Amino acid sequence: MEKIITMMGPMLDGVNVTLQMFFITLVLSLPLGLLLSLARISKYKPLSFLVETYIWLMRGTPLMLQLLFVYYALPLVPYIGIKLPDFSAAILAFVLNYAAYFAEIFRGGIQSIERGQYEASKVLGMTYVQTMRRIVLPQVLKRVVPPISNETITLVKDTSLIYVLAMNDLLRTARTIVQREFDMTPFIIAGAFYLAMTLVLTWGFNKLEERYAAYDE
Amino acid sequence: MKMIRLKNIHKSFNNLEVLKGISLEVAQGEVVAIIGPSGSGKSTLLRCLNRLETLDKGTIEVEGEILAAEGPDGKCQYVSEQKAREICFKMGMVFQQFNLFPHMTVLDNIIEAPMLVKGIKKEVIIPEAEELLKKVGLFEKKNSYPSRLSGGQKQRVAIARALAMKPDIMLFDEPTSALDPELTGEVLKAMRQLALEHMTMIVVTHEMAFAREVAQRVIFMDDGDIVEEGTPEQIFNNPQHVRTQAFLKSML
Repeated sequence: MEKIITMMGPMLDGVNVTLQMFFITLVLSLPLGLLLSLARISKYKPLSFLVETYIWLMRGTPLMLQLLFVYYALPLVPYIGIKLPDFSAAILAFVLNYAAYFAEIFRGGIQSIERGQYEASKVLGMTYVQTMRRIVLPQVLKRVVPPISNETITLVKDTSLIYVLAMNDLLRTARTIVQREFDMTPFIIAGAFYLAMTLVLTWGFNKLEERYAAYDE
Repeated sequence: MKMIRLKNIHKSFNNLEVLKGISLEVAQGEVVAIIGPSGSGKSTLLRCLNRLETLDKGTIEVEGEILAAEGPDGKCQYVSEQKAREICFKMGMVFQQFNLFPHMTVLDNIIEAPMLVKGIKKEVIIPEAEELLKKVGLFEKKNSYPSRLSGGQKQRVAIARALAMKPDIMLFDEPTSALDPELTGEVLKAMRQLALEHMTMIVVTHEMAFAREVAQRVIFMDDGDIVEEGTPEQIFNNPQHVRTQAFLKSML
């Protein structure tokens, strides 16, 4: 028992890193994803094509490769090359990657809204921006809760990839202790933490779905 | 005064010509019913009036203001987006599929556009909206969501929502076609009430009884053209054109 308590100190530091990665990525990639989805459905073809290519790139290459690229290769790019500290590099890679997935989720949601909603809004004199803000997006949010919830839970676990940048997140901390003490307990503790986070998220998203259930379609 | 003036309206979808040069004038307070077989272009004509479809050729004038006119190259040119929007919200529209906003209560459906588009204050618009709901007999449903309403109730809310923008003209695109037969009566009643208040109305409909009783003028369209128009008496009792006769026979 005493051993577990001494392990908890560094493990909680690991949890802290994991949670920071998770929350900062989520808070930045959701709005960016929404903007990308709007650009993706834009009638202005070059913009739409640009975003389509971006999404293809982000979904078509491993997140780990993107992490390594931002940290090791970005500084070597001429003119725009910039050396980021490990945490910022990890956030940048995660946000760019997750925004692409969220963009596709939002796009699906936006395109599932019936044409009649746009027509009714137009006939009532609303502009495109008013229609999106007041009529379309509120309905989209309800429809995308399940896939967003899915992606968010994946994000919790994906944060463990930052070990490649030698950052001490929950999983890497656990592994370090395991290798030092030849005791598997840290793995079990780490697993329990991930499960607990997922449980909280699942509960939160269920609450959100209940709130949206106020109206049916 | 002419509320609507259409001159030589042309509209094609891909290579299919749906409107083949239609001209039409509607006077203030007039109720015009447009009838005809499906695919005759009657809904498209209505949707061209408020920019749900854009014209290929022709002129649209609403209350003396030009919405679209033929440019020097013979193609149709619209006025600026801002101006067009101001012209178009003088025309309220009721759709076959209601198109209520499902995430808003009945009351919010009605007050949304006046607040957002006209900047009317909430405390001003709510009593007006409640008055409209009483008029269509749905005051007690004001806090319900649309999914809790029957089709007839939804369509009456849609009428109230359009009226809240204080339009001068009301366009009805087959307002009862999606309803169970026993629910059409309540919607037609609300429309009849509007006609009695001298609202200018254009109604695309399959309800021959309604067209006969409420409209001052009936227009029969077929294959993208106005085939025949006249008073309900002329059209229903003494149709001149064979296509009108055939259509009316098939509706019996």
